[in-house]
Amino acid sequence: MEFGPGIWGPIAATVLMLLGAIIGYLVLIISRRYIVPKPSSEKLKTYACGEELKPEEAHFDSEHFYSAVRRVFKPFYKYVQPKHSGILSTYLLWVVIGFFIVLIAVTLSLR
Amino acid sequence: MIFPHAPILAIVIPLFAAFLIPIISIIAKRFGAERMRGGWSPPWGINLSINGLNLLIALIIASIGSLVAIYSVVSMERDNGLDKYYTLLLLVIVGCMGVALTGDIFNLYVFFEIMSISAYALVAFRRNWGSIEAGIKYLIIGSLGTAFILLGIALAYGLVGSLNIADLTGKITEIGATQPLPVIIPLMLTLFIAGFGIKIAMVPMHAWLPDAYQAAPSAISALLAGATTAIGLYAMLRISYMLFGAVAIGTMFIILGLITMVAGGLMALVQQDLKRLLAYSGISQMGYVLLGVGFATAAGIQGGLFHLLNNAIYKVLLFMCAGAIIYRVGTSNMDKLGGLGKNMPITATLFIIGGLAISGVPPFNGFASKWMIYVAGIEAGQAITYASTAIAVIMSALTLAYFLKAINLIFLGQRPMHLREVKEAPPLMLFPMLILAVLCVVLGILPGLGIDLVQPAQSALGVI
Amino acid sequence: MSLNYIIAMLLFTLGIYCLLFKRNLIKMIIGLQVMTNGLHLFLISLGYRTDGIAPILSSQMLAGNGAANFAALAVDPVPQALVLTSIVINICTMALALSLAIYAYRHYGTLNPFEIRRLRG
Repeated sequence: MEFGPGIWGPIAATVLMLLGAIIGYLVLIISRRYIVPKPSSEKLKTYACGEELKPEEAHFDSEHFYSAVRRVFKPFYKYVQPKHSGILSTYLLWVVIGFFIVLIAVTLSLR
Repeated sequence: MIFPHAPILAIVIPLFAAFLIPIISIIAKRFGAERMRGGWSPPWGINLSINGLNLLIALIIASIGSLVAIYSVVSMERDNGLDKYYTLLLLVIVGCMGVALTGDIFNLYVFFEIMSISAYALVAFRRNWGSIEAGIKYLIIGSLGTAFILLGIALAYGLVGSLNIADLTGKITEIGATQPLPVIIPLMLTLFIAGFGIKIAMVPMHAWLPDAYQAAPSAISALLAGATTAIGLYAMLRISYMLFGAVAIGTMFIILGLITMVAGGLMALVQQDLKRLLAYSGISQMGYVLLGVGFATAAGIQGGLFHLLNNAIYKVLLFMCAGAIIYRVGTSNMDKLGGLGKNMPITATLFIIGGLAISGVPPFNGFASKWMIYVAGIEAGQAITYASTAIAVIMSALTLAYFLKAINLIFLGQRPMHLREVKEAPPLMLFPMLILAVLCVVLGILPGLGIDLVQPAQSALGVI
Repeated sequence: MSLNYIIAMLLFTLGIYCLLFKRNLIKMIIGLQVMTNGLHLFLISLGYRTDGIAPILSSQMLAGNGAANFAALAVDPVPQALVLTSIVINICTMALALSLAIYAYRHYGTLNPFEIRRLRG
């Protein structure tokens, strides 16, 4: 496919990507010759503020997975997300408000 | 003596009819009968009309419908009342095909209602508290939408006196050429856009979708995500671009598409439930389609329709993977899952393929259609299209972000003790998923196939 | 403008008001029905012709006045067919909605949409 100044050839791109992956894997295998120092098993245990925690019980919370992204988009999560409150009448009000917005937009663009 | 075996007729009759049809067509050509009709020719009778756009949508519906039917053989085997389930499933497919192929606007409304009512019943199929709540919300919001559509049809009949879409197109173009435009035409267009916009979950009217997709059985979520959103978008495009010829509202579609994309993507970032995350992701992808269609250039509409086809493929794949996880584990809450990659390797691979395809990573099909939309945005040349392309690229990165979150929380990481015995999904469940994943890869490596499908659809819309 | 159209649009608006602002599922379903009844009234009024006769063709009609005369006198039958279809569709929807409301009462103990909100976010 040709797009303006660029060319996208899917088959060529796939072959190049597979080649790149194979070369990366070869580099990885070669680099394993040297002994990498491993930390002791005490260091590898999950830190649970001094408690004994089995590895099977430690699980990352899905709500706070992207707390950094949440901080960036703070206005959205403070104002828009609580509006999705689960109440049917609020949702119907949105539909009617959306109808009026579309009416104004269509009247403006068709004039 | 024949009655216990009577259900086999549902397979035998279409099979024989399929082979009889070429014979009938040869005979009909010999005797000069051009079409089977009840004696009424259009525009007084109801006719089916076929053009490139219809064929694309009918292809999507037929393939998604058959794959979902194969999938639900396994995924619904623990429920009872399955005869009613399959009746409703076939009615949804009938309604979708009817909307796609008809040439009469009231017939479109009737088939749209058949599809919607069967969908309401299917969402509430399992009758637990979540399904009932989701079914009520979907029903009331959806009925408001179809009431808007009926009012639009009533106004069209009152204005012009005809119900055939081709006839209406001619007469409304005549009326539209007179200046000033009668006040009733923007009102009719708005009623249709609002009514169909509820079905495709455009942003102020999207609130029913996450609840409905979360609470429905997984096969039905897949069918709704692939088929009914495609039908809603097809109807909206046909009415606004073909019937009214109102290409000027493309800017409104661009802005609504941007808001839909951003809202869907940002809400999906913080979900705990897998099916709710996939539902918000579906809202975001429909925003992309609206963006592509709103550019109103040939490349933009081709990109938008190709993205619709790809969305049907990978959304259905992702919902089927979620269904496989729920079938084996029993929950879709991502806090309770983890480390299932060792237990369900094939499902994990297919989910990763679907996730990479939806984020627009080459060499999958999402990249080809998103690339077409970006290039169409830059070639369109106005300030709003540059800004929309930039926002679309950022939202694509956020799509990858929440899919990586989903993959990490479900398949990688530490496996809890109670999930040690989870087995791989049954092979009959994996078969439709494998077909869809192969389609993802094939359409990504050879996007020319997709463009061959979409090019007649775009020229049938008549917008250049 | 004829009185029919004004009443039809008034019914439509009242139906939407009832759907948006009432706090009981049964009242919302009634509002939906009022709204669609307004639409049906609108559709039937579109086909009305003053001093028209019912659009039923009989052999006496054909022999006496002729078909063209009949077409000039009769009320338009197409909106009546549309309304019949729409009434049947609305019966389906209402039956489904009422049965879902019965199940909702069993699960939640209330029919207030402000309290049927366990699925949120």
